[in-house]
Amino acid sequence: MKTLEIFEHINAKSFEDAVAALQKGNAEVVAGGTDLIGTRRFNVLPSNPATLINLKTIPNADYIKEEGGFLKIGALAKLEDIAENDIVKKKYAALAEAAHKTASPHLREMGTIGGNICQLNRCWFFRKDDNYYDCLRKGNTKTCFALTSDNRYHSIFGMEKMCAAVNPSDTAPALVALDASIVTTKRTIKAEEFWAVAIPGSTVLDSDEIVKEIQIPTPASGSKSAFKKLAIRESIDFPIVNCAVLITSSGARICMNAVHNKPRRATDAEALISGKTITEELATQAGEKAVEKAVAMSNNKWKIAATAGIVKETILAAANA
Amino acid sequence: MSSEENNKKTSGLTRREFIKDAGIVVGGASVASMALLSACKGDTKTVTQTVSTTVNKTVTKTVTVAEDGVELTDLHVILNGEPRVCHIEANWTLRDALKEGMGVISLKDMCNGCGACGSCSAIVNGRPILTCMALAVECDGAEIETAEHLGVINHPLVNAYAKNFCAQCGYCTPGFLITAKALLDKKPNPTDEDIIDALGGNICRCGTYPQHIIAIKEAAKGGK
Repeated sequence: MKTLEIFEHINAKSFEDAVAALQKGNAEVVAGGTDLIGTRRFNVLPSNPATLINLKTIPNADYIKEEGGFLKIGALAKLEDIAENDIVKKKYAALAEAAHKTASPHLREMGTIGGNICQLNRCWFFRKDDNYYDCLRKGNTKTCFALTSDNRYHSIFGMEKMCAAVNPSDTAPALVALDASIVTTKRTIKAEEFWAVAIPGSTVLDSDEIVKEIQIPTPASGSKSAFKKLAIRESIDFPIVNCAVLITSSGARICMNAVHNKPRRATDAEALISGKTITEELATQAGEKAVEKAVAMSNNKWKIAATAGIVKETILAAANA
Repeated sequence: MSSEENNKKTSGLTRREFIKDAGIVVGGASVASMALLSACKGDTKTVTQTVSTTVNKTVTKTVTVAEDGVELTDLHVILNGEPRVCHIEANWTLRDALKEGMGVISLKDMCNGCGACGSCSAIVNGRPILTCMALAVECDGAEIETAEHLGVINHPLVNAYAKNFCAQCGYCTPGFLITAKALLDKKPNPTDEDIIDALGGNICRCGTYPQHIIAIKEAAKGGK
């Protein structure tokens, strides 16, 4: 097993501490560490900041509670705790299921929701050991290796800033479907606007900004939500495509992920099923509507059909929940 | 000449003798690592440095610096019920510290540190985690349980695993055992689905998966 780069390690006692340490530069924060340790061990990026700031020592940042019409989840809440929480399972089923489907049980016991939404994008060129493919997400060249090579798991909704990697988070589409807001140390961001194509990051966060809390408005009574995921191995894998659906009495929110650089809402499909009785035929139509604007790359035409199928299944699962 | 003597003459060592010797080596692993640690201490010097542990608070603490200038710190843990301490560096994973520093040999490495195989699992503060993905410095003061402890406390899982052929090559078995222990701690009477779900992160290349379900259910009933 490769050893990690040598670095300085700081235990933050509060979010203010951590921000101050980030502002000194050449530092990054670590929560669960399940993405960061691997990225550092295999030298995925050209260079790593020397200092690691541990957020796990911040007290009372892993709560899951309902308060003032919102479900509030501390950024350091473990995915397993979210998946097992009775309130989340009952009222926010899509999020509980998404948290439960993330990675393997061990990784869910380590990984936090804050880290899950901030993880780096997944692309086998970007993630190759020892910075083998010096791609444009690393800031050095203008090349996207996926464009001309094996891109069977890459974006089906076009490239953004010339990058065809996909966002692999399972909780992200659930948060978008449930209309969550993400509270950082600087501002509150709507979940839909949280992700971006940065170098090498995957969020709109500034270099000295940390996710503190996730707020989800309590869905109106009678609302139903569901999450489905397609992956090669069900027990431990990143999604090929996943989908979360919230159906309320008057409308619907559908969000897919692992199909684009960012979680992507299927607004056309939402309009199609809003306020209607869900039948299998309608769900099939909505699935096809969701991928209407999809553009296949050279190897991933199959993924468009797979996405339509997952959207259909998730709509049916939500309607029958 | 008996067949055993003949065998001994050709190979130089009988299987029985080999296993006996190997057992001594395994048994001596923790002693050897302690000796190694004390040998390494000769190359280190203890200096008092001012280190900022948090941003606003600066404290003075004693750190040990190795000859090559790498700063060593102490990791204090409760390992299988006993307080233990070893020197670590800031870049060590928990697996490095437990294996190299404390002689815990049940932590395996099947996936080269990708966090994908579960063979380095240990229970840390009540949670089954991957020790290759946890930094040792972040586990100071933790309560850690490894597969070795199941034999010490005579846990029903050990017999159930042996009886139901849960190990073929046996390399992944400590990871499965400790994950199963964490499951039984949380759910004393797990269903088949619970077991499949909990062991989802453990890989067995020999394919012993069905046996684990039988063994864990048997252990849940107290080994009957």
